[in-house]
Amino acid sequence: MKSGGMELDIVPVSGELNVGPQHPGSGHLRIFVKLNGDIIEDAEIDPGYVHRAVEKLGENRNYIHLIPLVERPAILDSVNMNLGYILAVEKILNVDVPERAQYLRSFAAEISRIASHLYGMGILAIFIGHSTGFMWGFGDREVWVQILEALTGARITNSYIIPGGVRRDLTPAIIEMTKKAIAFQRKKIKDWERIFLNNPNIKARLQDVGVMTREQAIEWGAAGPNLRGSGVYYDARKSEPYGAYSKLDFEIPVYKEGDGYARTLVRFEEIEQSLRILEQVIKDIPEGQILSDRFFKQIPPTRLKKWWEGQRRIVMPGYYASFRPPKGEAISRVEAGRGELVYYVVSDGSAKPYRLRMITPSYRSIYVMKNLLKGARYADLVSIYGSLDYFPPEADR
Amino acid sequence: MNILFDIRYYILYPSFFAPIILPGLIFTAILLLTTIWFERKAAARVQMRVGPYYASKRLGGYLQLVADALKFVFSEVIVPDGVNPTLFALTPVLVVAMSFLPLAVIPVSVIPPSGSIFSIYFYDFYDPNVGLGVLVGLFTQYNMLLILAIESIYPAMIILMAWSTNNRFAIVGAVRESYLSVSYDVLLLMSTISMALEYHTLDLVKIVQSGVPGILANPLAAVTFFIAMIIGSARFPFDIAEADTELVLGPATEYSGLLFVLTMAGSYVGNFVYALVFTDMFLWGWYPLSGFPGALLTVIKASILVFFSVFLRSVYGRYRLDQALRGSWKYIFPLAIASMFLGLVVGYLWIQ
Repeated sequence: MKSGGMELDIVPVSGELNVGPQHPGSGHLRIFVKLNGDIIEDAEIDPGYVHRAVEKLGENRNYIHLIPLVERPAILDSVNMNLGYILAVEKILNVDVPERAQYLRSFAAEISRIASHLYGMGILAIFIGHSTGFMWGFGDREVWVQILEALTGARITNSYIIPGGVRRDLTPAIIEMTKKAIAFQRKKIKDWERIFLNNPNIKARLQDVGVMTREQAIEWGAAGPNLRGSGVYYDARKSEPYGAYSKLDFEIPVYKEGDGYARTLVRFEEIEQSLRILEQVIKDIPEGQILSDRFFKQIPPTRLKKWWEGQRRIVMPGYYASFRPPKGEAISRVEAGRGELVYYVVSDGSAKPYRLRMITPSYRSIYVMKNLLKGARYADLVSIYGSLDYFPPEADR
Repeated sequence: MNILFDIRYYILYPSFFAPIILPGLIFTAILLLTTIWFERKAAARVQMRVGPYYASKRLGGYLQLVADALKFVFSEVIVPDGVNPTLFALTPVLVVAMSFLPLAVIPVSVIPPSGSIFSIYFYDFYDPNVGLGVLVGLFTQYNMLLILAIESIYPAMIILMAWSTNNRFAIVGAVRESYLSVSYDVLLLMSTISMALEYHTLDLVKIVQSGVPGILANPLAAVTFFIAMIIGSARFPFDIAEADTELVLGPATEYSGLLFVLTMAGSYVGNFVYALVFTDMFLWGWYPLSGFPGALLTVIKASILVFFSVFLRSVYGRYRLDQALRGSWKYIFPLAIASMFLGLVVGYLWIQ
């Protein structure tokens, strides 16, 4: 006792916290956090709680039966999940897709991207305690989900895109709905800016949090908006255009800061770019078939009369489900809502794929998140998690 | 006739009336219902939802909280292994009790010598500073300090609650609460002291009766006190100790059933207590009314303050602990010091 009994023993406060899988801020994920005071020393991310064995099931089902399965991992972005798989299958089949179907694919994919980004914003908002952002994200998403419902017949698990084209055609009523939705969304984005993006509280929680430099983003394999938030100009829609993207005029928003706020801004500007794409699709969409002639010819005349004439729907005969593509392998890349999605399909000539591999953008966020969490404060765990827009089922597949 | 008079005498006796009826138990319970209903309805309006509706359609879902509370009351209270069951059950009760206690010593109105239903108690609750009686459960001339002293027990009870549940999230929440309570208690005390210096008194009644509302006399102290009140009652954006996405529910993580309802009630009652003090200190309290209408005026002002502070939920997210601490020590604390200087200077020049 040197200083008259006023000395305090400072004990290093360290310990572990087991965040998840039953935790309001974890999702279907376990994050084993080693804390030193308020600072996260190390975070072990343990995914796999919603693993559906999509790749293994893919070896036991017909190509068509796989469509509802591959879109399940990210049901809030199911059109993009569906599209990537179909692009790979079409490469093996070597089938030409009509122009109108290409535009419809881009149309559905952009609606899906908007819905996916709004979902991500909602989750980010509630993670940092902003309940209005949460409700607005899900409320605005509803508008887009309803358009998807009108277009495809299902709210989220659309199974809209099939080898050779799409299942349903665009009607004037849907175009009218979309125009209204675009105007609504533009107005709401102004509100979002007022209450969320320019809110000092939200800025304080996102700016300079989870900073990822350009080099780190490339080294850790970040994808999609997370990569573009770190200043890397990369988008599969531009680098390897699919659908109608080569004919559409849109920009890829890139921010240099690399923090959570930059990633959020990238998502908001992508919503704006998607709205532009939707407007162009509505304006430019050519008339014509929505399914490749090779498959269209197989539809019996009675079915054509019942479904195609009048309702403009494609209803394929049952044997379409067991088509056998030639031997071969194909890889496809699409820009899903959360980033680049890669499918690799190997065909051995039977009705089932020999191998289906899918690399989802959220899976690539796991390592990014692990690295970003080191040295962050404990309260930033949810902020980083939300700003990466990590979606556990998509990562687990 | 005589018996009725006796009953009326005891019911209206301020030591019973204030803690049990008007700012106390019964009114606070009704206010709690209304506040939580308002919080949910207002947030729903901002968020394009309907909010509580089905529990009582004609009242706009007002009774939803009663339904929720009933559901909680009849659900099982789970006591985790390895905790002390007595402490586990006792601490939520202590939290609520401690949050209610200051209501007994906050003056809500004055009693004129004649003309009011409370006038018969004029001499029992006589305040020599202003020459009037005071409608309060227990009158002391140092009620400002007494209120703050009692209210500062509340965070200690929260920490005890977290400690007794032996949950890691609860303990992290308790650590956050202890950090925050130090910072907001300092702000509360400093703004209160600056008002005391300015008005030369530790008696809230004298501040109200002086005829100058505190928010004009010392706006800096008002700002400081208001922010400290938001932090102290864990309203957004300072809902840090029980941040649900980070800490499940902070100190209340392990509670279920009736005990959970009690843990939730504490912060709302605390908010009302601070709002009453704010009303008296800065918003002119009951002035120029007195007696029962004066008490009503005070609690209405305080209720509006409570409504405002719960409405912040639909505007703000949640600050980080270090941001809240930096904010309160780096920006609000100098403001509190400035308010003290303002109080000193104005108080020196303005001799009442």
